[in-house]
Amino acid sequence: MAGLLEGKVAIVTGAAKGIGKAIAEAYAAQGATVVVSDIDEGMAKETASRIPGASAIACDVRSEEQVKSLVDQTVAQHGGLQIMVPNAGIGRPVPLLGMDYEEWRAVTSINLDGVFLCIRYGAPAIIASGGGAIVNICSITAQAGTPLIAHYSAAKAGVMSLTQTAAVELRAQGVRVNAVLPGFIETEMVTSVKGDFERMLGFPEGQFDQVIAMKQGRYGTTEEVAKMAVFLASDRSSFSNGSPFVLDGGCRASLL
Amino acid sequence: MAELEGKRALVTGGAQGLGKAIAALFVERGAKVMIADIDEAGAKVTADELGESVRAIRCDVTQSSDLEAAVQATVDNFGGLDIMVNNAGIEVVKPLFHQTEEEFSRLMDINVKGVFLGMRAALAALPQPGGVIVNMASLAGLGGAPLFGSYCASKAGVVQLTRVAAVEMRPTGIRINAVCPAFIATAMVDRLKPIVTEVVGVPFDDLAALKQGRIGTPEEVAEMVAFLASDDSSFCTGGAYVLDGGLQAAML
Repeated sequence: MAGLLEGKVAIVTGAAKGIGKAIAEAYAAQGATVVVSDIDEGMAKETASRIPGASAIACDVRSEEQVKSLVDQTVAQHGGLQIMVPNAGIGRPVPLLGMDYEEWRAVTSINLDGVFLCIRYGAPAIIASGGGAIVNICSITAQAGTPLIAHYSAAKAGVMSLTQTAAVELRAQGVRVNAVLPGFIETEMVTSVKGDFERMLGFPEGQFDQVIAMKQGRYGTTEEVAKMAVFLASDRSSFSNGSPFVLDGGCRASLL
Repeated sequence: MAELEGKRALVTGGAQGLGKAIAALFVERGAKVMIADIDEAGAKVTADELGESVRAIRCDVTQSSDLEAAVQATVDNFGGLDIMVNNAGIEVVKPLFHQTEEEFSRLMDINVKGVFLGMRAALAALPQPGGVIVNMASLAGLGGAPLFGSYCASKAGVVQLTRVAAVEMRPTGIRINAVCPAFIATAMVDRLKPIVTEVVGVPFDDLAALKQGRIGTPEEVAEMVAFLASDDSSFCTGGAYVLDGGLQAAML
């Protein structure tokens, strides 16, 4: 069977590791030519070297110049762009009243401003290439209050709103824009801060995992997020636009 | 991706419209399909048209015995049931307070109770883990729309039933999700076009083009159902997945 993304060129930001890497791998497996972009050039190259047909381009998504250049280089190298996945993001727990503006901006400049820049400069290239899809990597924290990550949650809520507006504005030009909202996924970003969450919330050690088990059954995997990202980038989701695509093991379905 | 090789599926309301498109795509992806429909003749015609891996049975989704029989027939014919699609539904399109009590009750019986009974019947046969239920809700289950009062209420009911069932059944490894399409090119939408045009005062097709870009196709809905029925969506449960061309995303 032919791949679902045969002949498409895709940019995935923050793709050196974690969810971005899994998406890059899944897209390549479906026939796409993937640009592995990351602020860490060495890791981006390392990741790209293990993915058939992939190349690496370093990019700090906080920089308008670098995002522009990422898109320009991709088009120059591959002749077009059909899929943009603004995935780069960071997160770490900080109590709201201990959060200074610098910390707020450190997270929102990557997680929200970065997505804006990827849409702002990615969409024209997609339109010029005859249309395609933008798949924003959002989070279920966009939909509910999440203690200790006010900056992360607010940025993700912003990404959901951007998804909606971009979907409506770009529809007539053949660009679909949707958002993937994962629950807690087994990534370094999550596992590295479990202990901090437990300390700051006064939980006994190990309770974070118990809360996850209660709310979403288990942690999701990066591969599961990648499969949703494939669906949304492919023609199989051709009538979906501007919507949140939750994968959270049932977390958001329950009030309790 | 989304291959359904060897899966055994039951699709209610599968004789026509969305249900037929779902059955057709499932077959294309390698599944065997039991079409359950209150229109027995229509179900048989569709089953014949879709080929050897499709069977038909009469089923009134307001009757638990009919749904239990449909599940049993799926197991008898195909050796099991892996995917239940509760798709059967009806519409009433008129101002809310012009709807009769009988119309309201009948719609709730089919659209809400039918999904409850369908899920319950399927759970007796679905494998644990691995069984999947996909319920046909609607964008009308996530937002209000004039003329669709009882329909909106019923589809919101389907979304909520999906959420609760998904969370309650999670420990068994059975996943349950809902699909929420906007206006799709089906006989149902053909029926409501002149009513909406008359009451809203804007030609239906213009309204649809403005709000959702275009009218969606049954095949597009079927793709979403196939994704949710497949292992590709293994971390999705209790979700309501929208396909509406951007309707819900837009304020204006």
